[in-house]
Amino acid sequence: MSLLIQCPICGRRNGYEFRYGGEDKGPYPDGPSISPAQWYDYVHANTCRAGVVREWWCHRQGCGLWFTLFRDTGTNVQVSAPEGEQ
Amino acid sequence: MFGMKKILPGFAPPLKFSYDAVLIGGGLHNLATAWFLAREQNMNSVAIIEKNYIGYGGAGRNTAIVRANQRTRENIPLYKEALDLWPVMTRELDFNLMFYNCGNVNLLHSEAAVKAARVNVATARLMGVESHLLDAAETQKRVPALNLSHQITHPVHGAMYHPPGGIVRHDAVVWGLARGAAENGVHIHQQTEALGIETENGKVTGVRTSAGTIATPRVLVSAGGYSAGLIYHMLGIKLPISVLTIQAMVTQPLKPLLNHVVSSGAYHVYANQTLKGEIATGAHMDPWPNYTTQTTAGYIKHQAEALIELLPCLAGVKFMRSWAGLADMTPDMAPIMDGNDPVEGLFMNCGWGYFGFKSCTAAGRHMARFVATDQCPDRLKPFTLRRFENHRLMGETAALVNYTPDN
Repeated sequence: MSLLIQCPICGRRNGYEFRYGGEDKGPYPDGPSISPAQWYDYVHANTCRAGVVREWWCHRQGCGLWFTLFRDTGTNVQVSAPEGEQ
Repeated sequence: MFGMKKILPGFAPPLKFSYDAVLIGGGLHNLATAWFLAREQNMNSVAIIEKNYIGYGGAGRNTAIVRANQRTRENIPLYKEALDLWPVMTRELDFNLMFYNCGNVNLLHSEAAVKAARVNVATARLMGVESHLLDAAETQKRVPALNLSHQITHPVHGAMYHPPGGIVRHDAVVWGLARGAAENGVHIHQQTEALGIETENGKVTGVRTSAGTIATPRVLVSAGGYSAGLIYHMLGIKLPISVLTIQAMVTQPLKPLLNHVVSSGAYHVYANQTLKGEIATGAHMDPWPNYTTQTTAGYIKHQAEALIELLPCLAGVKFMRSWAGLADMTPDMAPIMDGNDPVEGLFMNCGWGYFGFKSCTAAGRHMARFVATDQCPDRLKPFTLRRFENHRLMGETAALVNYTPDN
């Protein structure tokens, strides 16, 4: 599965140096009363979209940085941020 | 040769304006559900909507292994029922499914693995599934070609032997079920894409397809690796699923040398000899979700290295073909079979990971009961989607061989 990933620190590297960390679901749910449904949404639920998805990745065999990127899961290629996102 | 406009044989009735139930996905689970709906539930106005052709997805891409040595009491009876159904279905469908119950040998490569297998064997026996623990010498008696040397990466300590398992010709199951369903009045619409599910006041009213809109009170989504994406796209419901690619390959045909399905968790390899003589073998999963079904040279190299350590006589044998399929993995390695929640008339049968082939007949039978009666059969109750929200995950991750989206 060939994939090149642009690490913010190390630059463009082989995808196997990285660990996939799941779909980006926004900020960690914080507060005194988080419902089981909200936890489910944050911990387990995925969109499984075949298209551009914002994801967490970690440069495990490099600098160790956790960062988000956009990848097209239909073609397995990293893409630039869609309009309106950063 | 593989053009999208290729004319498909048989099963091409005109699309009706309404059906009692519409099943999205033309794979084994929906073909089996449709067949049981027609045969056992007297529901004949049923349509299967398939974007490509029947058996395009996981149904034709798995390595055809069947077994019932799962880990938990909720899962084992379901797989045992599926395993017991192969001879029955062969007779009922009047189609040779080529069920070869050669037995499965799960290799164990450490003391810890042997202990885990002991628990697995005990559970299986308690549930009425035949399973044995073998030491290294007994394992070699079962698999004479096996390398018992201690000089390999993961020396073999023993094996878990599950005699009733084996292999089934997966294409034959697709053809047999499709023919049987069509003969019983089920409409199979190939090259018809489901575009949306229409709802009104929280109830399903119809399905929009590339061939027109169908009115129906019941929709079952069971489209293998595509299910979670479809359900999110059409209804905005997120499922606890990660879709990973799993690769497989076959060698050139050889004289008989493997009497059993042999698998190894430590080597991430499973292999069986098909009735044609090819060694069909599969690999571990690609580590991030994607829908490409691409294969990679790295996996072929890994398979070759692992197989040669375990079965040195395969050195120099050539791989003929390799392919990949999608596995929709849940966090607890157990499927999601649910209905009427949160949308009335919406049923789902997905999240099977790489267990979808071996379970298709039993799952289809129970889903048919569920769809026809609106009553969830007892056997399916533990597989509700709500278990994730309620922190009632199943213990299937403790099974001997498993690869989750996180490892």
